[in-house]
Amino acid sequence: MTRFARPAVLALSALGWAAAGLPATAADLCPKRGGTLTYVYAPEPVAISTLRTTGVPVAMIAGKIYEGLLQYTGPEMTPAPGLAESWQVSSDHLTYSFKLRNDVKWQDGVPFTAADVKYSIEHAIRPYHVRGDVFFGQIDSIETPDPQTVVFKLKVPIPFFLQGFQAGTSPMLPKHILEQIDVTSREAVTTSTLTSTQPVGTGPFMLKEWVKGDHITLVRNPDYWQKGLPCLDQVVLRVVPDGAARAIAVENGEIDLAPMNALPYPDIERLTKQPQFEISEKGTEGLGTDMWLDLNLRAAPLSDVRVRQAISLALDRQAIINVIWYGYGKAARSPIVSTNPFFDKSLKPLAYDLKKAAALLDEAGYKPDANGVRFEIKQYALPYGEQYVRLGEYIRQQLRKIGIEVKTQSLDIGGWLKAVFTDWDYQMTSTFTDNRNDPTIGSQRLFTTADIRKGATFTNSMGYSNPEIDRLFADGALESDPTKRKAIFDQMQQILQADMPVIPLVELPNVSVWNKRVHGILTNGLSYYDGWETVWKD
Amino acid sequence: MPPFLAFLIRRVLQIVPVVIAIAALNFLLLSLAPGDAADIITAGYGGASVEEVNAVRHALGLDQPLYIRFLAYMSHLLTFDLGYSHVQGATVLSLVAARIPATLLLMMSALGIAIVLGIALGIVAAMRHRSWIDHTLTVVSLLIYATPQFWLGLMLIVLFSVQFGLLPSGGMTTIGGAGGVHGWFGGTVDVLRHLILPATTLALFYVATYTRLMRSSMLEILDLDYITAARARGASERQIGSRHAARNALLPVVTLAGVQIGHALGGSILIETVFGWPGLGRLVFDALLQRDLPTLLGVLFVSSVMVVVASLVVDIVHGLLDPRIVYR
Repeated sequence: MTRFARPAVLALSALGWAAAGLPATAADLCPKRGGTLTYVYAPEPVAISTLRTTGVPVAMIAGKIYEGLLQYTGPEMTPAPGLAESWQVSSDHLTYSFKLRNDVKWQDGVPFTAADVKYSIEHAIRPYHVRGDVFFGQIDSIETPDPQTVVFKLKVPIPFFLQGFQAGTSPMLPKHILEQIDVTSREAVTTSTLTSTQPVGTGPFMLKEWVKGDHITLVRNPDYWQKGLPCLDQVVLRVVPDGAARAIAVENGEIDLAPMNALPYPDIERLTKQPQFEISEKGTEGLGTDMWLDLNLRAAPLSDVRVRQAISLALDRQAIINVIWYGYGKAARSPIVSTNPFFDKSLKPLAYDLKKAAALLDEAGYKPDANGVRFEIKQYALPYGEQYVRLGEYIRQQLRKIGIEVKTQSLDIGGWLKAVFTDWDYQMTSTFTDNRNDPTIGSQRLFTTADIRKGATFTNSMGYSNPEIDRLFADGALESDPTKRKAIFDQMQQILQADMPVIPLVELPNVSVWNKRVHGILTNGLSYYDGWETVWKD
Repeated sequence: MPPFLAFLIRRVLQIVPVVIAIAALNFLLLSLAPGDAADIITAGYGGASVEEVNAVRHALGLDQPLYIRFLAYMSHLLTFDLGYSHVQGATVLSLVAARIPATLLLMMSALGIAIVLGIALGIVAAMRHRSWIDHTLTVVSLLIYATPQFWLGLMLIVLFSVQFGLLPSGGMTTIGGAGGVHGWFGGTVDVLRHLILPATTLALFYVATYTRLMRSSMLEILDLDYITAARARGASERQIGSRHAARNALLPVVTLAGVQIGHALGGSILIETVFGWPGLGRLVFDALLQRDLPTLLGVLFVSSVMVVVASLVVDIVHGLLDPRIVYR
């Protein structure tokens, strides 16, 4: 079952009201009703709302309870009707009107209306959500002419605006509860009961219990607006901190699903040989995770583009994939992954050529000394698990072949964040980032001059400043013509590939394993963050 | 004042500076690490501005000089206020309190089994000194002692959970009442079923220690004159073992048990992680990964207090076991 299925798959036009309605009945969507789906993940989520953090464990559990205005279909995340049954975009791309369904209720029974949409976005999502500013920072006003209509007036066209209504990006929150919270305080909003012990959403499942350190149980929302859904009675998250123990629990059938790299690769390897399991890299295209070497460009030798190119040439990406990622993943060509709709297909693969690498270093004036060493650099391994330590070892071994002596240092996550983003006290580190299908959303903050912001995490720590790149990102953020926009980002990728402010390595795999008794997992490019209302079990 | 009471008061008073020193050392050591909770929390925002990071740092009081933070921490401790975990969004006291029952259950079961079994096996090995029983016990206990706990745990899971399908592989309860567990009795049975593997894994490790210790302690005692005298008076070997030697041989075992109970109350990071047991060890593990210093400090403080209190209890038990010990 690796097909993409979704109830509300509809063709829609950018101009004019998109048609609404559910083409299929619940009976078609749930060949079987009832049952509990147990999935396993670690670490435990710190909250049940992406307002607090958009980390994987949080996004996964929150997506079952909270919904955005729209649903999305297919790996490229095409907007489809959801809480909003239709929408209209003005010809100048500055006004978006959404028609809301009139039969949606919050999980506490209060009707969901346009006032909730306005209040959620203005008082919680725009100020406090990670992507709040990207999508809603350029809004002039949100109007609610009637309880079923929401009109967004934008200051400038935002070409990717319709991607902003995903559950993980703008989870709708109940105004009647938010009003009781001090919405001027990030702390008050992001640690309120809505994000932790008593979430109230419109989604297919509701929180039943959260036993810290052990499990979270969600139960069917009996008043869910998609009649007859969800198929399952319960969704349970079991927190099992040890990777091998997670794999065993999947193997002996206690666990139905281990999503998004929840299992160690050696265990996945073992499970591929057992027929009852489905192993898939699909369903996470909407993230598009790219892993690269982040370089501090402020000082020699890494400030020299020839040195950066030489390092890139010394690394065999396929070997990294085969040895460290057990054959999963894909060689990266630029900071944009190949599943991203904006990926420039004309980009050449990054070559592996030790001779050329050495020649580039010679040309840059770094001659080897008596011991064959040209210079030393210090690297950090991303403190996100064993793979990055092994990657660090591989890099050290390869760069030695071209006369670069690499010293590896270990830091925990706190120390790493401080060294890279606060102190800029590093030379080279592995890191990864999610593309999220759009360069303005996922990549801009990493490469523009305005984003060289000391102390701001996951920004332009390299100190990369290229006026051409700045201009392309600025134009790309505003260009409404899809073809022109694609051309702008193609150019951006060609420059970044040649200039190498970061050295792209691997499009990281997101491998999920589930028992074949579970069906309907893959719904779109963010399947594991989805509501799972059409997931069913034998 | 009776000497015992005076002794008790003096020992309790001695605890105070020890506990303060431990708390101070914990705090200062952990503040040496680079990076702070503000970095970690704002990393969760995925691209926070400098102002936001600084605002969080200010809200957490992390922009204060070290000595101010230290004084604040210590003065809060005096009122048993262990602080607030911003990562978890809860008071540390509530987090620790929620995990104590699970850890107590696991550790006390494991130590209980280990002490009883270890003492018994140690006596048997010593009484049958150099026999095949002694040799077998020695080899097996050394083998178990040398086996990494987490590996032993995983192997037990593979055997009893995957191969035989007898026991659950992890967690503390069956979630959602699956498997037909109902009511108070069903619930207890369910927890016991989940307890067997982690408790056994831990107990095996401790049994090995206690067997070795009890055996050598017994052997030492069995060489003493009063045992020879007892033999001369015609006491049977069984009587000598249980009545004359065992009680005196227990002293080092009690000392070790005391220290271990104290340690054990901090939970076992390895076993709780492998078995997904929701105890203090897991709390420490998660807090470490997330640089959740208030929680980390809280658990360290609680477990160090436990160690100190346990050693006091050991001193008292010593006196009960050995009349030669005088409280002064």
